[in-house]
Parts: sequence; structure tokens; C-alpha cells
Amino acid sequence: MTKVRITLGSVEAFAELDEEGAPQTTRWLKGILPIERQAVHSMENGREVYVVLDDSQQVVDENQTIYQTVGDLFVYYKPAIFVKPEWPRHIRDFLVIGFVYERDSAIRGLSGPLATNLVGRITEGLDALAHEAPRMRREGFGRMSLSLAS
Amino acid sequence: MRKIVFELTGTRAVAEMLDDVVPKTCDAVWNILPVEGMSIHANWSSREIMLHLQGDKILRLPPEGPTRRGTTAPGDIVYFWRSPQMSRGKQLAYSAQFQRELSEFALFYGDPAGGGLAADDPPRTGRTSNLQVSTLFARLIDASPEFLRKCEEIRHNGLQKLVVTRSEG
Repeated sequence: MTKVRITLGSVEAFAELDEEGAPQTTRWLKGILPIERQAVHSMENGREVYVVLDDSQQVVDENQTIYQTVGDLFVYYKPAIFVKPEWPRHIRDFLVIGFVYERDSAIRGLSGPLATNLVGRITEGLDALAHEAPRMRREGFGRMSLSLAS
Repeated sequence: MRKIVFELTGTRAVAEMLDDVVPKTCDAVWNILPVEGMSIHANWSSREIMLHLQGDKILRLPPEGPTRRGTTAPGDIVYFWRSPQMSRGKQLAYSAQFQRELSEFALFYGDPAGGGLAADDPPRTGRTSNLQVSTLFARLIDASPEFLRKCEEIRHNGLQKLVVTRSEG
């Protein structure tokens, strides 16, 4: 079982990758780690925090769900308009990795639910993320990093 | 039409009140101006910033004007009220203030306005009383690009002071 360490600001959490359900996406993810990016709070999906990834390598649709739950770690293409107010018009979306830290959240596209590749579950530190994300929303967002923990 | 001014960290925008559509709401808003506080960015409604009304500035207004169904547009300014204990989520770090009565101005500054999860989220109407009121009462008529950029920056940089005043000119 591969574990991923997630840091958001000053807190840390761990997720277990679903390598059986999402073999291609988890293999790709392990290949790009470690990463550190500017964290962004969702403005359209509720309690979601994500980072924008380099999408030069296409991620296939796999282990998808539109019913994201608290603690899910997922990868998907987020409509560009939710990321930047002014973006190059030839860019439709951005590849992101994110998680839901509290209920009343669901990933949405421009016209309804958006399927996401479920790549893992946060198994430790979820409460810490649920404190840190709202704090950063008020005080300013910092960095998020993901790295292999085992 | 009366006008109101929004000042956000050195930038400003002017809105025109919809006196002919929702006169009682406009009067109530006008009467509490000026108001100021720390504005926060939306989580569910896309490009929206909110100013929570506090203390004696809290407005508890009945619904007024035409029923709105998913027609929020950039530039819309909405009076929003929600009953206590109706907020979504737990907000572990802010549970005490998060579960209070919510009375606010919602300023939709860009596209998409009202998009995302909020578009699929039916209002809490309650069986015997209103649990939520959402009244479009003004529209931006003059907003500088700097003001709109400052709104977006709240999403990344955190709360910013927003001042709402009457435009007497």
C-alpha cells in the first residue's frame, strides 16, 4: 500500500493510494511526486483544496466518481474558468489534484457534476486539513506539497 | 435610482439600486449605510465576495421582488439572509461563528456568477417559515478592472476590508 504525505501550510496528512482501482493514475502520480505548488481553495465545489499540475502528460479516465466524499483524493480536469478569471481561450481546463476536507462538497463542471479519478483516501490528518484550509481561506493560501511516504 | 459605492483596498465600484423592483429592500439597505467589514470569497457560488453584516447592521428582511432561479449574472448584488444552524459543513475552526444567523451582501464580480455547486443547491425555504432569503437589490454599473482583480485576490490572499457607502453625488 503506497502512502502519500500531504502538507498544507503548517499541517500534515497522509493518504493511501488506490492502486488497484486506479492503476494507471496512481502510477502516473507516483512518477511526478514530489510536487509543491500554490494551494487554491475551490470557489465552486465547497470544501475542496487543489493544486494545478503540469498536464503535458494526459491522464486517462479511470476509477471515476461524481460522488466525492470527505477524505477523497482525486485527479481531474477542472474547467479553466474556475481557475483563472482571464485565461488563454484555447485552454479548456487544467489538470488538478485535490481533496475534499468537509461535507457539503461536490465537484462541478460548468453544467453539472464532474467525474473525477479517485486515486486515494486520506487516512490520517484529515482534521488538521479541515482546520488549516478554512484558516488559510481567511488569512491567505500557502503551499501544498505531495510526496511519497512509503 | 440611488447609487452605492464599494471600496476595496484602494479600489472602488459603483452600483445602482433596483429601487423600482425591490423598494423595501433598497430602503433597508440604504438606511444601514455605511457598513464595513472583512469580505470573504465564496466557496460554492464561483466569482462572489461576501460582506457579513454584524451587530446592529444585521438585516432581517422578507423576500421581495420576482423569484430568481439560477439567473445570477456578473455585477449582481444580492441581499442574503439565512437562518441560524443552516450553514453547510462543520467548519471545525470556526464553528461558533459559522452556525450563527447569516445576513450579508453578496457581490458577484465575474463569470461564472452563481455557477458551480450553488447552481444545483435548492434554497432552504422551510415548510412554515423562510429559512433563507435572497434578493437581488443592486447591479454594478462602474467597476474598475483593479476592483475586480482585488475581488479575485481575496480568494488567494484572504479577507480584505470592504466599505459600502451611499453615493450622494
